[in-house]
Amino acid sequence: MSPVMTRKIYILILFIVGMFSSCTEESNPVYDTDNFTTIFDNNQFDASFFPIDMRQTPDGGYLILGGRKLDESDFTGIYLLKADKFGNFVKEIEVDETSVNPIAKLTAFQNKYYFFCMDPITQEAQLADVDAELGAVTITPVQGGLTYPTAASFVDDHFALLSYDNGNKESVISLISVSGGVQASKGYSIGTGEDVEEPIINHFIRTGRQFPFEVGKVSSNLYFFNGFFNYTFSLVFTDISSDDPQGVVQGQQDDGGFSAVTSLGGSKFASSRFNFGDNFVLPNENLSTTGNSSSTDLGGYSLPEMVENASVRILRATIDSKNVLIYGTDTKSKQIGLLFYEESAGTFLSSRYLGFSNPFEIANLIQTEDGGLAVCGTTYLAGRFPRICIFKLSKAKLSENLN
Amino acid sequence: MFKMKRLSLLLLCCLLITAASGQEKKRKKPSSPAYKEKKAREDAKFLNKQWWLGFKAGANYSKVSVEKTYSAISPTNYEFSSIAKKYKNYDLVGSQATLEVTFYFKGFSFSFQPTYQHSRFFYTNSYEWSSETDADNHVQLNFEQEQKVDHAIIPLIVKYDITGDKIRPYVQIGVYSAILINASKEVSINGIDNAAGGVNEFKDEALILGAKDLFAKNHWGLLGGAGLNYNLGNNVRLNLDVIYRYGMSNIVSTKNRYDSDRLAGVGDAMDDLTLDNLTISVGCLFPLRFLSSGFKTLDLK
Repeated sequence: MSPVMTRKIYILILFIVGMFSSCTEESNPVYDTDNFTTIFDNNQFDASFFPIDMRQTPDGGYLILGGRKLDESDFTGIYLLKADKFGNFVKEIEVDETSVNPIAKLTAFQNKYYFFCMDPITQEAQLADVDAELGAVTITPVQGGLTYPTAASFVDDHFALLSYDNGNKESVISLISVSGGVQASKGYSIGTGEDVEEPIINHFIRTGRQFPFEVGKVSSNLYFFNGFFNYTFSLVFTDISSDDPQGVVQGQQDDGGFSAVTSLGGSKFASSRFNFGDNFVLPNENLSTTGNSSSTDLGGYSLPEMVENASVRILRATIDSKNVLIYGTDTKSKQIGLLFYEESAGTFLSSRYLGFSNPFEIANLIQTEDGGLAVCGTTYLAGRFPRICIFKLSKAKLSENLN
Repeated sequence: MFKMKRLSLLLLCCLLITAASGQEKKRKKPSSPAYKEKKAREDAKFLNKQWWLGFKAGANYSKVSVEKTYSAISPTNYEFSSIAKKYKNYDLVGSQATLEVTFYFKGFSFSFQPTYQHSRFFYTNSYEWSSETDADNHVQLNFEQEQKVDHAIIPLIVKYDITGDKIRPYVQIGVYSAILINASKEVSINGIDNAAGGVNEFKDEALILGAKDLFAKNHWGLLGGAGLNYNLGNNVRLNLDVIYRYGMSNIVSTKNRYDSDRLAGVGDAMDDLTLDNLTISVGCLFPLRFLSSGFKTLDLK
């Protein structure tokens, strides 16, 4: 065979192989970070883990603040887990039992991640921090003798902390510096009598219902907390200096109130409420930040698919340049339900459900740097072992929920 | 359904064989030695070139090679290897049916063989939870997962006939592209639960679910093999064909790996896999060029 002929045959073979191989679906590491489901399993029969909050780290990975069952205490142990950007387990820390009851939110500030927890002996609040690689956890006592921390957020370079003072039977809202100093603090009575306190204590030792305590800032010098006030689980507005709240949206003792609240600016709020087991979604509602009002008068979209007094998380997200509200909740089908609403008008867009086969419960959801969504929750492997899980959804998948 | 398809193909082959045999009986014998010699030369020349049309069907066995392992379960206090999938290769019988169009030229054949291929492969994995303080607190879950994948295989094959006798062995190489048609998974879960006060061995009903989205729409590969053609002497060749298809690209969808909530919920995610198939087919081939308008055979032997 002549060299020219041989060369032509080689070219033909290369052309044919190239043609056949060009139609294949290429692997791409980006796909592995775009979408994944991960369940972090521990093979100990008695182990029990649940997530509380999650943050994405600068390396694209995920830092999860969680709780764990303690053998020798009624309180919840502190559990921290680091996953890489693919959702693979990297590291975990089981903080020793000198600090317990970690609470949301896990806050990123100046290369550190902060959260509040509690001294199990004095019940006083502690501020913990850790780096993105889960090095050593540093725990600092919070000044001012604040006890039973229930919820926290980070605004204007300081923390807003909601705690419970069981001596004075008060819900206490405070502003705490990053070093643990108290900058402002005000307590509001929950009412008198043992019965009023009982659900709060049961919340702490997890023998009763977990209440959706929250705290945050509405506008300049106006803060809110979702907690017990005057015998009811209420949404309370305060400047953290006046003896009386500026406004209260009352619930129905511990049977009604808000299950999630997010300020949209001014008096507009995205919220959800519970009332004797029923759930109502209010994606765009003007709430009175002054005077007294009642949450039962607010109406809202009733969603029978949600479990009784469901946990609800609200995320403000931007998808395809559109501002949306994503409600994450637990459904009766034991899935995590995501409900998408347009933020400006509160109109319903679509829904998505995560998890199947085993039960799944929501802990929190965040928008990721790639424009996607990460949802962390608890699943029960083999139908019984509580384990932490992450669902990562790509930006493209989220876009499907807008169209 | 698939059995019906195979039966139809077999019937079609039988009909064609019968028709070809009939044509053979009508063949006229040459009248003189000179004519015979001339005819033999013409036939020999004619035989250098031929088109063949045929059908074949048979069984295949699959082997998968793991390019990259994935799982929805990420262990925190034990080695991943203890829950890794264990594949069983060449274990389950698949099937395929092929239409063959071949151009023969001086010992070489260039063949186009579109194939409907049904492949099956299988893997198992298990999870275990136990207590350090109470031996009774022990649960084991075993997963058995069978994948059934249907592809349209579009190959281009070059064959070389080793000898030109009545039995004509050949070797072949080629390249193929595979287009996904359908896929399903059957998941069976069984286990042992010691925590209920006794040894509770359980087996859940198998979960069968569509899995087309979990597989890549296309993949490609190389193939090689050998076979035998047996000339019946009546325009027809019986064919035994053995091909090994060597997958060169991932058969799993990298985009949709976690799209099945049912599977991800129990910790399953498909690995990146290449698929090899050993296929054994039998069939028959019919010439498309004839010596005369009376459909005379081209095969002299």
